[in-house]
Amino acid sequence: MKVRKSDKIGIILFLLPALALFTIFFIVPIFSICYMSLFEWNGISAAEFTGLSNYKAIFSDPVFLRSIRNNLIWAFAACFIQVPLALLMALILSTRPRAWKFFRTVYFFPQVISGIAIAMLWSAVFNSEYGILNGLLRAVGLESLSKNWLGDPSTAFICVLIYGLLYIGYYMVIMMAGITNIDETYYEAAKIDGANRFQMDIHITIPLIRYSIVTCITLAAIFGLRTFEQVYLLTNGGPANRTSVVVLYLYNQMRDNSYGGANASSVILVLTGAFVIVLIRKLTAEKKETLEKAR
Amino acid sequence: MAKHEMNKSVIYKRTPLQRLGTVGKWCLILFFAIYTLFPLLWLFITSLKTNAEYFENPFSLPAALQFSNYINAFSQANLGRMILNSITVAVVATFLNVMIAAMAAYAISRFRFKGREIIFALISAGVMVPLNALMVPYFTIFSKAGLLDSLNALRILYTAIGLPISIFIIRGFMDSFPVEIEEAAYIDGCGFFGRFFRIVFPLTKTGLVTAATFQFITCWNEFVYANLLTSSPESKTIQIGIRYFTNQFTTDYVSMYAAIIIAIIPSILGYILFQEKVMSGLTSGAVKG
Repeated sequence: MKVRKSDKIGIILFLLPALALFTIFFIVPIFSICYMSLFEWNGISAAEFTGLSNYKAIFSDPVFLRSIRNNLIWAFAACFIQVPLALLMALILSTRPRAWKFFRTVYFFPQVISGIAIAMLWSAVFNSEYGILNGLLRAVGLESLSKNWLGDPSTAFICVLIYGLLYIGYYMVIMMAGITNIDETYYEAAKIDGANRFQMDIHITIPLIRYSIVTCITLAAIFGLRTFEQVYLLTNGGPANRTSVVVLYLYNQMRDNSYGGANASSVILVLTGAFVIVLIRKLTAEKKETLEKAR
Repeated sequence: MAKHEMNKSVIYKRTPLQRLGTVGKWCLILFFAIYTLFPLLWLFITSLKTNAEYFENPFSLPAALQFSNYINAFSQANLGRMILNSITVAVVATFLNVMIAAMAAYAISRFRFKGREIIFALISAGVMVPLNALMVPYFTIFSKAGLLDSLNALRILYTAIGLPISIFIIRGFMDSFPVEIEEAAYIDGCGFFGRFFRIVFPLTKTGLVTAATFQFITCWNEFVYANLLTSSPESKTIQIGIRYFTNQFTTDYVSMYAAIIIAIIPSILGYILFQEKVMSGLTSGAVKG
């Protein structure tokens, strides 16, 4: 609609609350972390300008390096384990096997339950004395394998990481929505040409839901970088900071009143996130070009 | 709709390979279902046992159902208060969020003014911001405003951080119906606000409900900022409450499990009742985008 004079005030009034909140809670905070990361500040006394020394400090802190490494592993694993599994299950459930709606509902459960409740649940699974996992091992006579899963440096990180990777419902539902939008005639034509299910999945379904897949990969990477609750609850970064992640690191810096370091790690997190999004866009856009060239 | 239905219409004998495929398929389907359901079921059963029974065998069934664990969770951890807090926070934050988002989406979707696509692109980019990285500024804002340890802090924060996704969802719905209806209303003398409340609001109900579902669930489940910004028992939400029974000295496991069940039952019930809405609500940003 054209903007009429009588509508002008309305438009401004309607945009104002959203823009005000967006400015206060998105734009100002992002500028503030960038700016304040150049200051040494304990939250009480006046901030002191120290240039890039906060960045130097966090990058020479092995705990921060370990945290960022863990986040990258997390994002990578989500993209290359969780999303492909979700794709596989989306392809399977899209053939509408018996009770597929029931299974779709079940797979989506963890998305509805709070991350904190799920984390508590899994801390019960991994509990060294009364946990389900050790209980199961005992029950099948493999007691020798039972251990303090979250306390042992060799298993802690993998345990914290892996349980969420097998919750595939969210990405599966996104990809299933993509699959329902595919025109039936593609499959009919392929069928006439004698293609089997597997060939149809590889040559029709997957290329046609490329957009959904890229979305899922992007989301998986972003969620991997943002991880906090699981680690905070299950191990709080331990043992010996093995399982620390960037958000936990900045949370602890904040708790120690080292706001400069917290802000610097915030900036690194935001930048890594932006970089990953751009990278995924670039990589997938290139693929599209080569696909077109191949034709 | 059914993609590979035509497979069934062709009658042919299944090869061993295909049979293996079917077995593999069902193994996967059942694996993921058990993976999701078993721990939840276990949690529920254990929440009805005594601690002694639980320590003796984590898989046994309770000899008698210990509903006292639930009473314990409510009386000791004061879960009732926390549930009430969570409800008021989620309801207020959802209402404000959807109202403000719908207003902004209306202005952006229906009127061609300078900068509207820039505003929309900027706000949409907010979806990608890792909000956990903004702990320091958010903490500073609320401490300067004197709102630390107050439910209003959570209401305001949740309203604000949910805006990008809500505006994105609602705008999508508003774009999908024609402007002509409004033009006609304008000619009939219906003003800006009249058109919004009488025409656009009812027509975009699906979009508003979708955004509200997303927002409500996110608010109900939010932990990081509830943990950071509140401290006294009076202003804790249910997600904080479920940790009450763990402290460094002892853990009352069964009561803790009861508390977790209490915290997740509303989500699960709501999900089962409004399944399609919840699913499309939670994925709509990704599906439409």
